[in-house]
Amino acid sequence: MTHRDRIGAALAEGCRFSGLYAAAGGAVVRVALTGPDGDTRLESVDVQNGSVPTIVDLTPAAGWDEREAADLYGIRFDGHEPLRPLVEHDLELARWTVPVRGDDAYQVAVGPIHAGVIESGHFRFHVVGELILHLDVRLFYKHRGLERAAEGCLLDEGLAYAQRACAACAVANSVAYAHACEDALGLRPSSELARVRTVLLELERTWNHLNDIAAVCAGTGLAAGNALFAALTERARRVNELLTGHRFGFGAVQVGGSRLAVDAAAVAAAREELASLAAESKGGWRELLFNASFQDRLPEVGIVTVDEARALGAVGPAARASGVSEDARAHSDRLAYDGLAPVAPRRVAGDVQARLEQRAVELLQTFELLDGLLDRRLEPAVAEAADPGKPIGLGLVESPRGATQCAVEQGNGRLERLHLRTASYANWPVVAHAAVGNLLPDFPLINKSFELCYACADR
Amino acid sequence: MLTLLRNLQRLRRQVGLPSPGRGRSLALRHVDAGSCNGCEHELALATTPYADVERFGFSIVASPRHADVLLVTGTVTTRMREPLLAAYRAMPEPRRVVALGDCALARGVLAAESEIVGPVEALLPVDLRIAGCPPSPATITAALLELYNGTT
Repeated sequence: MTHRDRIGAALAEGCRFSGLYAAAGGAVVRVALTGPDGDTRLESVDVQNGSVPTIVDLTPAAGWDEREAADLYGIRFDGHEPLRPLVEHDLELARWTVPVRGDDAYQVAVGPIHAGVIESGHFRFHVVGELILHLDVRLFYKHRGLERAAEGCLLDEGLAYAQRACAACAVANSVAYAHACEDALGLRPSSELARVRTVLLELERTWNHLNDIAAVCAGTGLAAGNALFAALTERARRVNELLTGHRFGFGAVQVGGSRLAVDAAAVAAAREELASLAAESKGGWRELLFNASFQDRLPEVGIVTVDEARALGAVGPAARASGVSEDARAHSDRLAYDGLAPVAPRRVAGDVQARLEQRAVELLQTFELLDGLLDRRLEPAVAEAADPGKPIGLGLVESPRGATQCAVEQGNGRLERLHLRTASYANWPVVAHAAVGNLLPDFPLINKSFELCYACADR
Repeated sequence: MLTLLRNLQRLRRQVGLPSPGRGRSLALRHVDAGSCNGCEHELALATTPYADVERFGFSIVASPRHADVLLVTGTVTTRMREPLLAAYRAMPEPRRVVALGDCALARGVLAAESEIVGPVEALLPVDLRIAGCPPSPATITAALLELYNGTT
């Protein structure tokens, strides 16, 4: 069976592509495949004469991964034509953009610096009038080479690199990294460790979902809605600070255990504040539902069909809003979700309205989860030895934006390779696809309905 | 809509930030030169009723052409060097540069050396340094007020 046959067979069995990366030195390419049961396995293929067969025709979701491996490790992907650069920026326009020709077609270039407090990235729209024909997204302006910088670190030192990839997903990235290390070291989290990490992940989801609802309000020009949900975001970040000592939970996650100790009074105060946030966000959401001029802006904008979502590898609330019923939390045996069922969308439309509503509904689920988890103090906890360990460990966590996959390759307790494939990385090509056929002035709204991080993708 | 506005009014009363009592303005232009997105998220919340940086006449503007202050976040990556310099060159005089957050100040930066140029002051004259990883909305607001009052 060839490499492509193995990948094809796995996809036919219902696995989804969840990442591709070059191992240290670039002699081997590994493909991560996640089964319907949440188990991830790697398929490796040797690089021969500088190339490996592409899998982008089998799973278009691998497009960015192959382009990145080509840029950073000089690997060619036979059959991926044209193999456009992604991380490499020193190239002429025709090399990295898709040629779009026809009467009146022209390009609108936006960024890397945008008109608000927004991360840096470049969008090149091919349009006729206001109609978007195609969008080339060029990110990696913020590429800091974090994965490479982490190589050679001790496993617990490497966590800082995964965490600092992105503040908005710092906890999700840290837990994915910790899980990958513990998988490699043969450790299993105790139930208290699982509970503490689940609390941290859900706190991060709380402020992100509040922030993302505020962002859609800003995208439609509804200042009052934006102000309300931004104020709730601030309060949610204060809850983070109360429990972890940091507004983004930096430093709250460690490999092999947790040092976090929070007394019952602080936990009770956090639980009370979260109950108040839940009530106020419900009230705010009701106002948004009955605001006709706001609601009129949302349906049938930026549609992603269920087939497109699957083919492009969409994850998280955005994928669920299109009808892909997958949530890494449902299978997280290292966390305290206890068989959580993904929230089914009320309206499977895959548009801006469906993505916004999905977040709002999942936010309520998160409040309920936290209320259940914060019933007693948080205690220091450890991961216990369970098996002999292995050279490569994997971690999969549902971040606020969807499944985030971390691979750690280690030898003698030092990092040989770190690969972090975040939900934002998975979803950026979906944003580009969702924009096509829409009007240029609707793009900010479409973009905000995904509300992806640039830092998470760029690393 | 009215409910939303009433809630906002109530929130402002509850928070009870003092009025600045003076009518001047400062236009801020933000550039992310390679951050982790933390400084952006905190800067964005500086406009909520809990810090309300706008009560001092500070506004975050869409173009460097009419900005007084360049707020730079992150360690400067090789790919953001030119866009950052272009934004600075587009600003009218007098102009001030604020390095926002520890990365912009070269404190505890995590990155591969070949991908970064260095801290903001390797490229631009820095007038104000706001430390923190990331600095909170209240810290950002207080520091900008110092710049505005001419105490830095």
